[in-house]
Amino acid sequence: MFEAPYVEEYSVQAGDFTAIGEASTKFRATLKMLGIPSEIVRRAAVVAYEAEMNALIHAGGGTLSMTVTPDHLEIRAADRGPGIPDIALAMQEGYSTASDEIRELGFGAGMGLPNIERNSDTMVIDTEVGAGTVLMATIRFSAAENQKSGEGRQAAEQ
Amino acid sequence: MKISEIVRQLDLKTYSAGDGEREISGVVSGDLLSFIMAEAREGWMWITVQVHLNVAAVAVLKDVPFVLLASGRQPEKDLVERCAAEGITLAGTPFSSYEAAGRLWETGQRLRE
Repeated sequence: MFEAPYVEEYSVQAGDFTAIGEASTKFRATLKMLGIPSEIVRRAAVVAYEAEMNALIHAGGGTLSMTVTPDHLEIRAADRGPGIPDIALAMQEGYSTASDEIRELGFGAGMGLPNIERNSDTMVIDTEVGAGTVLMATIRFSAAENQKSGEGRQAAEQ
Repeated sequence: MKISEIVRQLDLKTYSAGDGEREISGVVSGDLLSFIMAEAREGWMWITVQVHLNVAAVAVLKDVPFVLLASGRQPEKDLVERCAAEGITLAGTPFSSYEAAGRLWETGQRLRE
């Protein structure tokens, strides 16, 4: 497919919340163009969208980057926001610190980090209160290693 | 069931035509964007009362070709434009999400995978 890692980066700016998803949509278009399988593209889209949403809602913006190598992709979201005081609490489905105004638009459901974890093979959060947060999520392309497919998990439960 | 059939059977108002020939294989209803990001599957229909631009982003990212706005909610202009640009069918109904889904169920088509 290609040898060198492909890197794409966008700045996510505070402002209109309804515009969230621009960077994720561009990542999706890139992955489709690179011929990445659609199941992987959908998982990457969820990870990128939730990371983008978190950076905007909680940190007023940041940078979202995606690196694609022959065997995996990595999505990295970095911000200089307030940091996450309690990651275990933030990982709890339904827990959110988003404002009522943001929730009324359908954001801040407290499902962002769980959605990212469910759709990635590894997720690492490096956060410091008052300094910012860096989130790194990887998705491997090899089918044998893709045990954590979100949609596969849900299908198995039905 | 084709999108055009659903539009006709439920007498929906169409804001963006999309691909009426596209088959819908399931339906999800909800207004929390992250919930839809988690639950929606490719080729599904999404019933919601959210009417802002991000509805289109979620639909694009999840390969959802048909969004139905319930309870008479009017789409914002940029949502209509984005759906049209992305080939997503955007339609509206005065019925609530509950009643719209109920009427769809009553057509005898059980849209679920």
